[in-house]
Amino acid sequence: MPLVREWCDDAGALRRFGLALVRDDRFVFDDVAACALIDKLFRQASLTLVDSPGADRRAARVRAFAQFVRLYRRHARRLAIDEDGGWVETPPSSRGCGSAAVGVRSLPLELREALLLVTLAGFTHREAAEALDLPLAVVVDRLLRARTRLGAHMAASRDAVAAWPQSAHLRIVK
Amino acid sequence: MTGRVDPAQTLAYVDDCLDPEARSDFETQLRLNPELRREVAQWESQNRAIRAAFGAPSRSAPDLGSASNENAVRRPDEAAHPADGGARPFGQPRNRRAPAPAPSNAKSSAAGPGLAARRVVGAVALAAAIVWIGLPTLEPRPPAALLEAGASAARALADLPVEFVAGDPAAIAQRLGPRLALAPPLTPGLRLVGARLTPGWQATATLYLYEDPRGARVSLMIEPLDEIDAAPARRSDVDGLSVAAWTGAGYGFVAAARDGANVAALVAAAGADESLAADVARRP
Repeated sequence: MPLVREWCDDAGALRRFGLALVRDDRFVFDDVAACALIDKLFRQASLTLVDSPGADRRAARVRAFAQFVRLYRRHARRLAIDEDGGWVETPPSSRGCGSAAVGVRSLPLELREALLLVTLAGFTHREAAEALDLPLAVVVDRLLRARTRLGAHMAASRDAVAAWPQSAHLRIVK
Repeated sequence: MTGRVDPAQTLAYVDDCLDPEARSDFETQLRLNPELRREVAQWESQNRAIRAAFGAPSRSAPDLGSASNENAVRRPDEAAHPADGGARPFGQPRNRRAPAPAPSNAKSSAAGPGLAARRVVGAVALAAAIVWIGLPTLEPRPPAALLEAGASAARALADLPVEFVAGDPAAIAQRLGPRLALAPPLTPGLRLVGARLTPGWQATATLYLYEDPRGARVSLMIEPLDEIDAAPARRSDVDGLSVAAWTGAGYGFVAAARDGANVAALVAAAGADESLAADVARRP
């Protein structure tokens, strides 16, 4: 039972990570497809535990997230090629989201994936570097850039909210 | 010490990637450097905001003092003193208008002794009510709506045929998929019959069904709840059903049966609350 529970926790974390990372609806169509994808990734990753007896659950988790990141990168590259480099990710919608969610979604993919792995999925910097297949220094640099941009976005959002009563122009209708 | 600290180290501290020794060194620098403290507070606030925005459970106890609803429009006097300068301690009230000056006419002074007497009587009545009802407990409790949902599911579905027939918990978990795949506890004296899907409190839930040696059904509803704090089991009787609800590990659990001893056995097998299991077992 504990193993199943941990597996559910990991699947939930990957699901949240995917929802925050992906900005193109064509990557995964609906909830059923998302569940199937996550299930498959964890099944594949759990083979790590069988193949290498020294590996722990953490290694399987890193492997599942890494595979998800690779799949979405490949999806983004393929769309960019299909549309002659003109494809950009769908701009984030601000409807129904707080400024943190919009700020994260407006980050470029390479910054977003590093930030979300660490803050949302709870990876250490080394694990994030392993999952993203990048040197540790590059991941740290991306994290710093992502946090700087996100901080600026959230500050601007707060200022806009604070200034709202003065900036709103209501027309009096008789 | 006000020297510049390596941002990578600050980042590692915020993301909990430092070993204990480096962490304590960094905390020493943190105490001496207000600018560093501000930066760390800002990044930690970002972490909390991101986790809250995408529904991840909090890593620490909620800091109600610094929580803010970013969709709320602040009043101009609040906007002039934004909360980012320092978290508002829990319990400290928000900015309020200055209280109106007390009336000083002859009528109010004449009513003074009567008012004081009423206050004394009110305080005594309040104290008596608290003693009569019992002091409110601060222990976390599972939501009453979860318990109601579990009881409703048990009433409506427990005696119907199961949708997933299996005596093997792992097989049921495999069929239900990753979100609902929490293997039910194997309970001594109860035979797992199978499972059904059922409406839960907030989402789809799994209703595991057991049978005791006399053929009486016992149900255990397991509902995935992304943001729920762990709470020990809480027992109630609903329309002749003995029901116990508890939460933990991102799930809500509700055990229900006509026989309280079966609920007690299920609660004990799940390890939710041993004292409650003993309490339920004592009841008829």
